[in-house]
Amino acid sequence: MSGFSFLEFVQQIINGLTLGSIYALIAIGYTMVYGIIGMINFAHGEIYMIGAYVGLMAITGLSLFGVDSIAAILLVTLAISILVTGSYGWTVERLAYRPLRNSPRLVPLISAIGVSIFLQNYVQIGQGARDVSMQPVLTGGWRFGPADGFQVYLSYMQVLIAVVTVAFMAGLTLFISRSRLGRACRACSQDRTMANLLGIDTDRVIALTFVLGAALAAVAGVLVGMYYGLVNPFIGFIAGLKAFTAAVLGGIGSIPGAMLGGVVLGLAESFASAYLQTEYKDVVAFALLILVLLMRPTGLLGRPDVEKV
Amino acid sequence: MNRFNRHALTIAAGVAMLGLSGLARAETIKIALAGPTTGPVAQYGDMQMMGAKMAVEQINAKGGVGGKTLEAVVIDDACEPKQAVAVANQIVNQKIKFVIGHLCSGSTQPASKIYEDEGILMITPAATNPAITQQGYKMVFRTIGTDDQQGPTAGRYIAAKIKPKKLAIIHDKQQYGEGIAKEVDKTVKAAGLKPVLFEGISKGQTDFSALITKMKKDGVDFVYYGGYHPELGLLLRQSREQGFDAGYMGPEGVGNKDISAIAGPASEGLLVTLPADFSSDPANADLVKAFKAKNEDPTGPFVMPAYAGVQIIADAIKGAKTEDAVKVADHIRKNSFQTPIGKVAFKDNGDLKEFEFVVFTWHADATKTPAK
Repeated sequence: MSGFSFLEFVQQIINGLTLGSIYALIAIGYTMVYGIIGMINFAHGEIYMIGAYVGLMAITGLSLFGVDSIAAILLVTLAISILVTGSYGWTVERLAYRPLRNSPRLVPLISAIGVSIFLQNYVQIGQGARDVSMQPVLTGGWRFGPADGFQVYLSYMQVLIAVVTVAFMAGLTLFISRSRLGRACRACSQDRTMANLLGIDTDRVIALTFVLGAALAAVAGVLVGMYYGLVNPFIGFIAGLKAFTAAVLGGIGSIPGAMLGGVVLGLAESFASAYLQTEYKDVVAFALLILVLLMRPTGLLGRPDVEKV
Repeated sequence: MNRFNRHALTIAAGVAMLGLSGLARAETIKIALAGPTTGPVAQYGDMQMMGAKMAVEQINAKGGVGGKTLEAVVIDDACEPKQAVAVANQIVNQKIKFVIGHLCSGSTQPASKIYEDEGILMITPAATNPAITQQGYKMVFRTIGTDDQQGPTAGRYIAAKIKPKKLAIIHDKQQYGEGIAKEVDKTVKAAGLKPVLFEGISKGQTDFSALITKMKKDGVDFVYYGGYHPELGLLLRQSREQGFDAGYMGPEGVGNKDISAIAGPASEGLLVTLPADFSSDPANADLVKAFKAKNEDPTGPFVMPAYAGVQIIADAIKGAKTEDAVKVADHIRKNSFQTPIGKVAFKDNGDLKEFEFVVFTWHADATKTPAK
């Protein structure tokens, strides 16, 4: 290896932030559901996969109709994917989790694993088990640095991913902190029984949580579809695992934690790949998780879990 | 009561005899086609099934084998080693004695042990990892070359024709991909070319930007990739996107039209080692016409080897005058066969005595031409 290069370092930060944004968007779904009902929704990775499929179909459909403005494609695709994926999120909660609301904690967990397997096979049967690929909608980017040496490349797509991610996260943060429903969400997260006693329809809030998580997963799915251009029914598993790790790393139950966790994980993978061997990127990512959990068992931004009496 | 029993017995015997005569009429020799019909590499499974089914059809049209017809039974292993074991057990339970498959080296290896133990004859038209025929098995053959032939072909081509200043070798950490990458590594080192980087990515990985940045910074000007097309397709596309324009080369596992669907224009100029294009051999003109008549593409690397596998089994059953798989295997080892992949004979370990890999240049429209 030929020494340290500042420009390469910058490029690796760009690479890591892009990857981290995607992780963060998916991680929020895990963390929100956990924050409110204390359950890990293992089907969330599959919800993201469905978002990616719907996004790919919408983009293909739009190009058939001759729509070629990037802004129009992006907005319409996001809208369609959020709508469809959100309703999947809602349905899954309604059918697989709500009937089990008051059962022991393990039961909904098993139900979630079941839903995950179901959705994977459902898409596999409906869409075929093969890779579906798509040529990039948005190409090109900016190059910085010496013309004859290493040039930093920032693609329009990477900027788009960052902008869309930040926009949706800002929107979510505003929604949670300012709106009536957001306040209800926070109340449920603090004490569901008490919130219920005070007249908050907790079932509705929980359903909303699932829809919001699914919507963000849909955004991640659309962005991944546009950026990598390859989806298959199995992408949800790895993405789900990584996003879940990001959520735990940041402190499960904490929304800013999920965002931070995603970015930290993305950067860790990028740097491990860059300065060690690519083989070690998952080793480094998970070693980091273990280290953080050893020092701060509740994650980077998690609050200590006070046993409720 | 007693009389009733006797009647029942008569009826049962009658039914049993009917059943038996029914069996006798429909007697077939079953050949299992084990390979992926689902999953990310199902395209290769299609090639295998297409070639084998064509052979079964044509052999049956010519009167079958010793008066019996061949019957193809397709079983999906999705290229998963675990599922391959289940598939092998299923084949044992169905009392099938002949197998064309499996396709991926990773799934062929565990399945081959079961076939060897159960006396089932297996011919793989696609698994190229050398270890498969190094287990001392008597029932395992292949109608394709091995990575220790393919790797050196690629390695010599890189060292002699490409002469890169800085070579990187990447693989997918799977038995097939890593095995072939190591062969390439060995060959180029012997030719005095030391790769600057030898690293593994993960199967199913989608983001390669960090690795590409690193290769770009190190001034890599040629990359050998050991693995399959989904990962290489993304690697190519992201490389060009980042402005990393090194040449790429891969084994036959990347050579199908999906690499162009994924990588688009970035797949132009990719070098691929493939078995010689048997469909362009004039001796196979009729066979190619038969495939074209069914609207099937005979140019895939595993189509003709799969056809050859079925044909060898059929010829060996005729030659050995028995369906005993152990004796048939013995016959295969001792004789040579005229097939669409040429006149073939086997070594004691089940490998072909001769097999040639050729370097092709891949094009963005998913066609290929022999590389200069």
